[in-house]
Amino acid sequence: MGTVIEYLNQEPWRFLVSFAAVLFLTLNLAAILTMSERKVAAYIQGRYGPNRVGPRGLLQPLADVFKLFTKENLSPSRADRWVFLAAPIAMFIPAAAIWLVVPFAPGAVVADLNIALLFFISITSIGALGVIMAGYGSRSNFALLGALRGAGQLISYEVPLILSMLGVAVLAGSLSLVDIVAAQDGGFWNWYFLPQFPMLIAFYVAGIAEIKRIPFDLPEGESEIVGGFMVEYSGMTWALIQASEFALMGLISAIGATLFFGGWQPPFEFLDFGNFNWIWFGLKAALIMFSFLWIRWTLPRLRMDQLMDFGWKILVPLTIFWLFITAGAVLAFPSVFG
Amino acid sequence: MLEQERVAESAALSGRATERLTNPYLRNEFGLETIDLNVGPQHPAMHGLLRLILELDGETVVRCDTVMGYLHRCQEKIAENRMYPAVIPLTDRLDYFANMHMEHGYCLAVEDMLDVEIPPRADAIRVLMCELMRLASHLPSTGFLMLELGAFTPILYAFRERERIQNIFEAVTGARMMFHYLRIGGVKADLPADIPERIWEYVESLEANLQRDFVDLIEGNEIFVARTRGVGRMSQEKAVEIGVTGPALRCTGVDFDIRRDYPYSWYPNVEFDVITDTGGDVEAGYRVRIGEIKQSIRIVKQVLEKLPEGEVMGDVSRRIRPPEGEGFGRVESPRGEFAVHVVSDGSDVPYRVHYRDPSFVNMQLLQEILPGHYLPDVIAIMGLIDPVSGGWDK
Repeated sequence: MGTVIEYLNQEPWRFLVSFAAVLFLTLNLAAILTMSERKVAAYIQGRYGPNRVGPRGLLQPLADVFKLFTKENLSPSRADRWVFLAAPIAMFIPAAAIWLVVPFAPGAVVADLNIALLFFISITSIGALGVIMAGYGSRSNFALLGALRGAGQLISYEVPLILSMLGVAVLAGSLSLVDIVAAQDGGFWNWYFLPQFPMLIAFYVAGIAEIKRIPFDLPEGESEIVGGFMVEYSGMTWALIQASEFALMGLISAIGATLFFGGWQPPFEFLDFGNFNWIWFGLKAALIMFSFLWIRWTLPRLRMDQLMDFGWKILVPLTIFWLFITAGAVLAFPSVFG
Repeated sequence: MLEQERVAESAALSGRATERLTNPYLRNEFGLETIDLNVGPQHPAMHGLLRLILELDGETVVRCDTVMGYLHRCQEKIAENRMYPAVIPLTDRLDYFANMHMEHGYCLAVEDMLDVEIPPRADAIRVLMCELMRLASHLPSTGFLMLELGAFTPILYAFRERERIQNIFEAVTGARMMFHYLRIGGVKADLPADIPERIWEYVESLEANLQRDFVDLIEGNEIFVARTRGVGRMSQEKAVEIGVTGPALRCTGVDFDIRRDYPYSWYPNVEFDVITDTGGDVEAGYRVRIGEIKQSIRIVKQVLEKLPEGEVMGDVSRRIRPPEGEGFGRVESPRGEFAVHVVSDGSDVPYRVHYRDPSFVNMQLLQEILPGHYLPDVIAIMGLIDPVSGGWDK
């Protein structure tokens, strides 16, 4: 038994096994999130939600997946076939790949890159490509409008998203997520949400825009452009787009928990569970995910011009301002901010 | 200020757009590249089967064509082949969110030709049912507005309330939507014994919930205000010129309500205010609807307090043969003025029936005010007008 684990601990087996584990997590996360989204929505709206398949409806995601697998995979006759079919893959791979740098527990990270933040930023930007491909490949006016909105929104909100993460990088003195978590040890008062509170707000808002959820779900814009860039998708291609969106939603929550809430660090020293500290990580990420669901079922959608105004006129100045304050504080009081 | 600039700009833009469309030289000159977007007839925000052909410059609408007729059922022609009482169930199918008002308008028009006295209790029950119907229509329309702005939850709160009203209707009329309750000369049956108490309890609970579920949740939301203030703004002159009625007219500040200005049925016996607003935009339309919900609750309570005793059916012969002539009835439906014009040739079927439906007339507004708005605003303006497919297509 021991030999098998030792063997698996060597490259490339370690990487392959952990990558499979991450892929497993991503796909299951999508299933769990679809279920929880429907349940949370139901409870907010005073309904029961899915409660027929399995105990308390818990097997509903399985039924969904079965339905989507057996559905015919339609593509419009005039569509640019290869672009159309490649778009969901181009959206899913980045959403799954970023999980590689997320530290789940002490020592539990697939790849401890020293530029993990940079990796995160660059790979999420590829997601915009998938949206544009989907809209262009469908050759439908609704999809095209959705794709143009998506391109504008994702690229503009990338800026405040990056800026909001830089403050944390300055404080921790590192771009590695493992180092950032290590810098926040010793109780919740050391977590970065306190000194970086404006950045947290900016990260949260820009994060919602990045995962295209209400109030920033303009690329989908269900009531006006009926699903936007994914209006022509059906069956498994549609499911892949959905899975990538849910994976990205989990990812933003995980990165948010890592950067601002100490990752797997317990709030008090005596609650340190050692290797089981992934419980803390999961709890924090789940709370952020729940807040996304809560917002999704409460607020209406912004308009494109208001979205742009908000991003460029409020979030970007706010993050730049706080970045300068952080940098100045670190320069002026090196003993306090290490 | 910014909004006014935008409206002025949109007016300029729409003027340019119409000229550009007729003149191919100008089309090249301006170099505007537009796309045609075919919205509907199967579209989640089109309130039924409406098709809008939008010409878009980016996301700005430069031209809008409304195409109707996808739900046309020849209601007026069918009515010419049916005996007078048999038309009432057809009117239920006109505006299916305000069935009682449709029945009421038709009954008033036929009673106009007949020499018949309607018992006061029947009239009071008609008013009671119509005001409950108004609640059951206004609540979902605020919910639809939110649905169109992207928030899904208020519509379910609205339908929860509508469901309770429908339960009351079911107990009174036996049907949940297509009632066939009003009859020429009265109503089908008296109220069941426990119904006044149930209605009272219901409106009390609605009064308690209204602020929380429909005002604080919606109007207290910054994004709602940003999305609706100044959107779809129209002047009083434009609204009157087109013939807009109902909340869409009152939100521009025109003080006009059939219930008060041309009183019919039992309305002279109840007190209520006509709600107006000065905004003339989607937000003002929403506020007028909320105000009218409160007034409807007030009317329902007054009717329940003063409900007269007696018969519920007037002295009408089984086979109705109005004398040769014309009859006219107009009611204030939740969407505006619903009027019915019936021509009789002395036989037992109408010679001609014409319905003036508010959904149809109010929708003429779309082509006028849409140019210059963004695509998402189009949907919000649909929420202001709140047309119903069965109404505009008859």
